[in-house]
Amino acid sequence: MNKLRRFIGTCSIVTYSAIILVPITLAIHRLVTVAGFNPELWVNSLSQNFISAGVTNFTIVQAIASTIATIVVGLPIAWALGRYKWRREALYRSILTLPFVIPSIIAAMGILSIVGAHGINIRTNESTWWWTLVLSHAWFNMALFIRFCEPLLSSMDPVLEEQLRLLPNGRTRLSRIKNLWLPLLMPSVVAAASMTFVFSFTSFALVKWITVGNNTLESMMADVSSSAGIVGYMESSSDIVLGASMIQFSILLVSLWLASVIQHKHRAILTHSRPDHSKRTNLYGLFILIPALLFALAPLISVLVGSFRIRNSDPMMGDFTWGFGGWQAAVNGGFSFPPLTDGIFNSLGYAFFTLLIALPLGSTMAMSIYDLEKIKPRLGRLLDVFTMLPFALSAAMIGLGVLIGIIKINPSAAYQFWALPALAHIMLTTPFVVRIMLPALRSYDRKFDETAKVLGVKPIDRLLKIKLPLLKGPMVISSVFILAMSLGEFGASFVVARNTDWITLPLLIDSWRGKPMKDPFAAPASNAIASVLMVMTLILFMVAEKFRNNREGGMF
Amino acid sequence: MNQNKTKTKLKPSLKILSLALMITLTPFSGCLSADDSDSNDSLDDGEIVIVTYDVYALTDEMISTFENDSGLAVRMLKLDDAGSVLDYLIQNKGNSNVDLAIGLDNTYLPTAIEFDLLTEISADKTMMQDSQSNSGMSPLDPYDGPLATPFDMGYICLNYDTSVVDGENLSLPTSLWDLTEPEWNGKVAFPSPVSSSPGRAFMLATLDYFDWSQNMTEFKDWWSAMAENDAIITSGWTEAYETHYSGGYGVWNEGHVGDAHMTVSYCHSPGVEAFYGENSTKSSALDLPKTSFFQVEYAAAVRGGNSDYAHQFIQYLISPEVNSKMPIENLMYSVLADEDLPTDNGYRYHSLIPGEPSSVSNDAIRENMETWLQEWNSAVTSGE
Repeated sequence: MNKLRRFIGTCSIVTYSAIILVPITLAIHRLVTVAGFNPELWVNSLSQNFISAGVTNFTIVQAIASTIATIVVGLPIAWALGRYKWRREALYRSILTLPFVIPSIIAAMGILSIVGAHGINIRTNESTWWWTLVLSHAWFNMALFIRFCEPLLSSMDPVLEEQLRLLPNGRTRLSRIKNLWLPLLMPSVVAAASMTFVFSFTSFALVKWITVGNNTLESMMADVSSSAGIVGYMESSSDIVLGASMIQFSILLVSLWLASVIQHKHRAILTHSRPDHSKRTNLYGLFILIPALLFALAPLISVLVGSFRIRNSDPMMGDFTWGFGGWQAAVNGGFSFPPLTDGIFNSLGYAFFTLLIALPLGSTMAMSIYDLEKIKPRLGRLLDVFTMLPFALSAAMIGLGVLIGIIKINPSAAYQFWALPALAHIMLTTPFVVRIMLPALRSYDRKFDETAKVLGVKPIDRLLKIKLPLLKGPMVISSVFILAMSLGEFGASFVVARNTDWITLPLLIDSWRGKPMKDPFAAPASNAIASVLMVMTLILFMVAEKFRNNREGGMF
Repeated sequence: MNQNKTKTKLKPSLKILSLALMITLTPFSGCLSADDSDSNDSLDDGEIVIVTYDVYALTDEMISTFENDSGLAVRMLKLDDAGSVLDYLIQNKGNSNVDLAIGLDNTYLPTAIEFDLLTEISADKTMMQDSQSNSGMSPLDPYDGPLATPFDMGYICLNYDTSVVDGENLSLPTSLWDLTEPEWNGKVAFPSPVSSSPGRAFMLATLDYFDWSQNMTEFKDWWSAMAENDAIITSGWTEAYETHYSGGYGVWNEGHVGDAHMTVSYCHSPGVEAFYGENSTKSSALDLPKTSFFQVEYAAAVRGGNSDYAHQFIQYLISPEVNSKMPIENLMYSVLADEDLPTDNGYRYHSLIPGEPSSVSNDAIRENMETWLQEWNSAVTSGE
């Protein structure tokens, strides 16, 4: 490892540590100054305050139910894609994995349109809200099961099943499931289920809009965050935020650790075959594929359709009319809301700012871990775990860290520093870059580099002509992921940017939707903005799909 | 020998680490200390920064007229509600960029004053209403000092759906205790006083109703009984009125449930319903002694901001051409003398002026609000 490389690596680790630890430490310090250091009291405060009572139970129960629902929905789809032959398979896979990259606020708008008065009209029955939320989480996370399980299913050598059929333990379908498929799929299912649990546990926009009046720990923290950390004013807010963060951090950490351990311990090493050899034609698969495609596309189509549907104030004229009023309202803005272009420019600005910092930072961090793994494996492992820290912190907590952390340093900075919300986005996206780049670096064949070195190729040429072209795919995917995540980020932005006038598209959607519904343009305008964000995300998704190696598995 | 070896080993690492620290932390240095010269520059930059929530009176037209007349540019930070405005001011105390806060009401103002968030200005309040005016309301009653200027007002009280509370399906309550009866189980929606200003105002009304100065027991017992009677407690007014209340315009809302036949809103909310509903409404305000609370909303210059800019905007906000439009633009009473709600479409007719509103002094609010919120919280959470 040469000096320059060590220097860059150290720079990236110091920067990353500063970005993550400084705001969070300042925020915790400020909260503890108000609440005192008493973790038991923090946790107890959750049941003692009306705003937080029952929130932990609600969060855990809905996350478990959502995980089960996602397994029920996602596994058959992964099976149909992995085991059966389809024409236009790549297109189907793209459609079915699309929900995962769609910002949750768009999903919320689409699902509200489906269950609302002009859809299946079940919204007036409050008892349906919880189930709607669970199904929404299944919609959002089913892609995880496809990503984790489908590569394995599609490359499983059919000879294995044929051989098992001849054995006493493989004669019945049930016994083959028990003795072959279950052990084979379990690590991938557990990994996907853990990630589904994590995403459902930290759900914000979907909970905020679908189960109105109920909160997850994440959305509740965002609600009370504005009054947290103030001595002599609403002091219980600080206890609540600390208690909720502690519970959330512990549960997320255990979930991520569990997923990692099971995946490593139970990784099956079996003979693989090419997908065209493993797969067979089975038209019964259409019974899974067609409803799955409709399920994946319905909320997205609803968003677009809903942007043109305007409720009539006069019932004599019918329930609604079609028109561009919502789009007009969104584009023009008004006394309450900035125009759509402001949201687009701010969101794009934050996304590119985040890209500018998170991509080099995450990539150099990944390189440092990769280098350390060879000379100091323990330190490398430690750094690897450290980069995952934001996964276990909620977006709201990160937003809170940025906001009250920076305010503690300099109150004016929170107002003057346009890029402040991007700091939260950097914290949230950098770990994803590390997770994408690290496996790519590990699989990078160093022989190319060594051969070039022997041939006398300069280091800069080796980097530009050999390494970067080979790592182009993961870098493009990382970039797209950063842009998409930043564009759709809601939790941290809700905490940070709602106190500024640099509104982002997801916040603009939320604001329009929160407008009293007496305004017939409130819902279509929010859908119109959601449609714009959806198209931006779709473009990014299509770029990423071009570069993605489907056989790798995993989230990305 | 070993020592030398260690030295030569550590040296480059430390050098690299120090250099890395220097380079990476330099960009943050701008955030680490408040630059006073910058802050002072921002005071006279020709831009007034207003922190507010969705105050409908601040229309595009009204803002651009002010910009043209004053030569100042207006920049607004829109927050969720009055509570968020106060939270923002406290969290950002020392931030010299914000000049004016619009939307704090008399339930939040005492806290803002206690935290020393506001600065004095001398707004002209001579043309404001007094208790002899048509509405019988005096906006200067709750607070008449130089730290805040009233710009709109109204009474908070219980609203009920007359199509259900008709004496047959549900009887009209004659005491707050009636609402704890089984017939009202799950049928009353309250915005939480922790996060909503109408909710806070109603909590203050109940404190007076149950004579908090004697003891808090009855206040707590009633709220506990309401919680046990499955009262719907929402985080904000919007959710209570638009989602749960069966008598209001929430029926237009996609997510309208309509399970509550009584909720907390303004005494003139039925008037607003009628005004927009061609003189027709099924909502009415309950005139029960000491269950309503007089709410005044204020505009106030923020300490550290440009008080001259704030003064100019406040004068504009309380000028007849802007403030007389409050009933239409902001759905609240104007604070000006000789102004009342319009009679069109039954707006005035359906708006109740309560006979015996409750009264809690600003001093009492400032001293006790934290304790009262805690008492309310323990009452509805554990029933203790």
